[in-house]
Amino acid sequence: MDSRLVLARRELASLRREKTIVLALAIQLFVAAFSSVLVVGLVSLYAPGAAGGAVAVDVGVTGDAADDLGPVVDRGDAMYATYYDAERAARAGFERGDVDAVLVADRLDSGRTYVDATVPDGSFATTVVVSRLKAALSRYERQRRAALSTRLDRQPLDLPPERGGSTYHGFTYTVLIPALAFLPAFISGSIAADSIAEERERETWDLLRSAPLSIPEIVDGKALAFVAIAPAQVACWFAFLALNGTPIHAPLAALGFVTALTGLLVVGGVAAALAVPKHREAQLVYSFGALGAFGAASLLPESPQNVVAKLAIGSPTTITWLTVVGAIVLGVVSYAATRVAAARAATT
Amino acid sequence: MSPRRVLRIARWEAGRNAGTIDRRTAILLACTLLVVALVAPALVLSAPTPGQGVYRVAVDDANPYRAPVALNDRLSAVPPGANAVERGRADVAVVGTSGFVVADSAKGRAALAALRSATEAYNDRLMATENDVAAAFPVTVDVSYVERGTRVAGGSGGSAAIDADDGAGARTDDGGTTVGGGTTADSGATTGDGTGTTTAVGGGASAGTAGPSVSGDASAPANTPGGLTPPFPLESLLLAFVFVLPLNVVIQSYGSSVLDERVDRRGEPLLVSPATRADIVAGKTLPYLAAAALVTVPIAYAVGAGVASVLAVLPLAALFLGVTFLGALFARSYKELTFVTVTVTVVLMAYAFVPAVFTEVHPIAAISPLSVVVRDIRGDPFQLGGFLLATVPVATAAVVCYGLGLGVYREEDLFTQKRLPAKALDALAAPLTSVRRVGLLTVALVPFVLIAELFAVASLFVAPPDLAVPIVLVLVAVIEEVAKSVHVYAGFTNARFERATRAALALGVASGVGFFLGEKLLLLTRLVGLSDLTVGGAAFGNAELGAGSLALLAAPLVLHAVTASVSALGARRSARGYAIALAGAVLLHLGYNYTVVTTVG
Repeated sequence: MDSRLVLARRELASLRREKTIVLALAIQLFVAAFSSVLVVGLVSLYAPGAAGGAVAVDVGVTGDAADDLGPVVDRGDAMYATYYDAERAARAGFERGDVDAVLVADRLDSGRTYVDATVPDGSFATTVVVSRLKAALSRYERQRRAALSTRLDRQPLDLPPERGGSTYHGFTYTVLIPALAFLPAFISGSIAADSIAEERERETWDLLRSAPLSIPEIVDGKALAFVAIAPAQVACWFAFLALNGTPIHAPLAALGFVTALTGLLVVGGVAAALAVPKHREAQLVYSFGALGAFGAASLLPESPQNVVAKLAIGSPTTITWLTVVGAIVLGVVSYAATRVAAARAATT
Repeated sequence: MSPRRVLRIARWEAGRNAGTIDRRTAILLACTLLVVALVAPALVLSAPTPGQGVYRVAVDDANPYRAPVALNDRLSAVPPGANAVERGRADVAVVGTSGFVVADSAKGRAALAALRSATEAYNDRLMATENDVAAAFPVTVDVSYVERGTRVAGGSGGSAAIDADDGAGARTDDGGTTVGGGTTADSGATTGDGTGTTTAVGGGASAGTAGPSVSGDASAPANTPGGLTPPFPLESLLLAFVFVLPLNVVIQSYGSSVLDERVDRRGEPLLVSPATRADIVAGKTLPYLAAAALVTVPIAYAVGAGVASVLAVLPLAALFLGVTFLGALFARSYKELTFVTVTVTVVLMAYAFVPAVFTEVHPIAAISPLSVVVRDIRGDPFQLGGFLLATVPVATAAVVCYGLGLGVYREEDLFTQKRLPAKALDALAAPLTSVRRVGLLTVALVPFVLIAELFAVASLFVAPPDLAVPIVLVLVAVIEEVAKSVHVYAGFTNARFERATRAALALGVASGVGFFLGEKLLLLTRLVGLSDLTVGGAAFGNAELGAGSLALLAAPLVLHAVTASVSALGARRSARGYAIALAGAVLLHLGYNYTVVTTVG
């Protein structure tokens, strides 16, 4: 068998044999899955459309503009207006828990309506109540604008219709998926640096060099294992998300992009470990280098996060594809360059 | 421990970082740091968002909706054309001035919702140029957050919250921290421009009527419905990243340094020097703790947090270092260490972040040190109870980590290669020199129990009580039984104690009594009213028993002693025996807790 594959298999086996590593991965998986489920769950709870049918919000309405505001409140998703004659009665109702919020609406001489809103504090419902009130009051604002339209020079645009879409739909694609895609790539680069730094610190590097392998072949063998495991992890994440109702639109392209980035990071890790003799300094160089490179890449027309988000959500542009191709080309070129440099460093 | 030696080792450790770096490494490090330093301001200036242009809207340049699309970051305009949506080129198409074709998918509907909020923001901008402000913004609103039962106003504003749907992106509301009476009352959208924030008024008198007379009609008001920001929790995620990621670099370096000592017996000269183990460990840790503090203070300053925030984050940093220290003592290779470091980061970050999501929404948030930071940034009054709950378990857990690590910081453990669980058992067994020590170690493990249980409660309190309470009961039983018995098992496997029934019973009783005393730490949860929650009561109710009668006081003591004895009897035999006995103890505990929750609670 190709000796490079033997080395790659040795690296993977050493990862597997140390069962603690498997355990560490499992914990990571659990925590990441758990927090993503929690965050996505929360987000959908806060989204007006998603929680719409679930929690009913009763609103006490009073004040001289109450007859005007009440019907607007009633039109909201699962919102019900209760009319009170006096503010005192409305507040008493709030205290008793008859209503979840109180709106005191007074019409001023200028035609403006002043609303004093009271919502419960420190309860889980606060956010739901406030976001519903916001929707209702915005609706009321539009209605009042229309009523006073003769006093306006320009007219506001009509709003597009509501179809129950969540404004937080994009969160999964733009925050969660990029994070899940890049974390394994960073770790791969880091353990690639570890692997070589360790061989050098424990002075087994010379032993390895005496094996019938050239330096580029050693780099191949080491890098192969670490480049391979990151896309495998990301593929698992994608499958997991797809099962949970978050389809990934261009999984292969996204995986290709992740592989290219992993290649770049692994090359960076290998280069850091070859250039710097000590493990800790090599790790520092790698960490800051990766951080800086990532920051610099964020200044591109489409940042890496944006590229992954667009591929996953299904809105790739020409620039997206160019970035993917560019990353792959850059990955291949820098990989080749590292092999050459490693060989040269070894001969001198 | 001698301070002089600690300082010398610390100086040596710090000097080793700077002094022994060769020139090439120094240049490389300087280059990477330079790149980071150059990139950071550019990033702040351009502020790229990952969500840029994820929704495509087909709209031609003359269309009135072209302007809102350009205004919103997440929307990108694509040229209209026949069947743009059907062909998948766009998610929404604007036809004429009022027709919308929407892709029949979650994404299409989300794109429409984004367009809708973009249009709202655009309208607000358009109206801001109108002369007749009262007609342009015909509704103003002030929100007061009132706790039911007591009419205390304000306190929890959404003004600092991240504006996740950019409905109000154009206007920044810098919540007024005005108004007398000592309370900072910033309601959702109030800027300091005069609109009376409803302050504390006893008994429910009309508080809002002062508002209209004060609010001037002359300029565009800040408190329009569009400016309302519901308390949205994701800023704590950002904080978790800002505070925790730099710590990650520190612990990486620290773990490396500790593991370095173990490679090729490099740590031996120090061990045979007159310095004690505690001197060595304290000296090696001090520079990194200082580095963590040096990193935390500017960050706190940058995000606008104060002393309380720094004090809250430092215990978290100490726990990071403590767990990394243990990990570096257990790990066999740098690779393994990297995984340990990543796991530590992820788990602690989840612990810091998940509960903090509920800051301002729910008392559960108080368990996270980040909630102190969030409250501090918002200018909410400092709460001692919440601060203690957020910091004490974390800080004591850090101390215990170091205590356990010190036990194995010796020649026979440092330079041997063992599997991680075996090393962990060694660390647990090291301090067990007498039966009394078993009880003390149980007490020391209580902070971890508290952290684990708090995390369980935090993750389950959203679930319906019918589901959450049983799960929490099971988790609590498992966590507590493991904490009471795992070191007893370690003691037996490391031949610290005789494998006899009497010894096992004595150890079990000692461990049970220790846990009973340590459990009183759980009373901390009282400080923030966590036990008022259904799930909270299920988890922590046990510690509060005893207020009533002597029988209730004795019941938990008997329970802990009995279950610990059961698992100790199993641990005496073998790993399998321990597993079986532990399961039995968990069941016993579960039965007891269930009875308590159904009869007393």
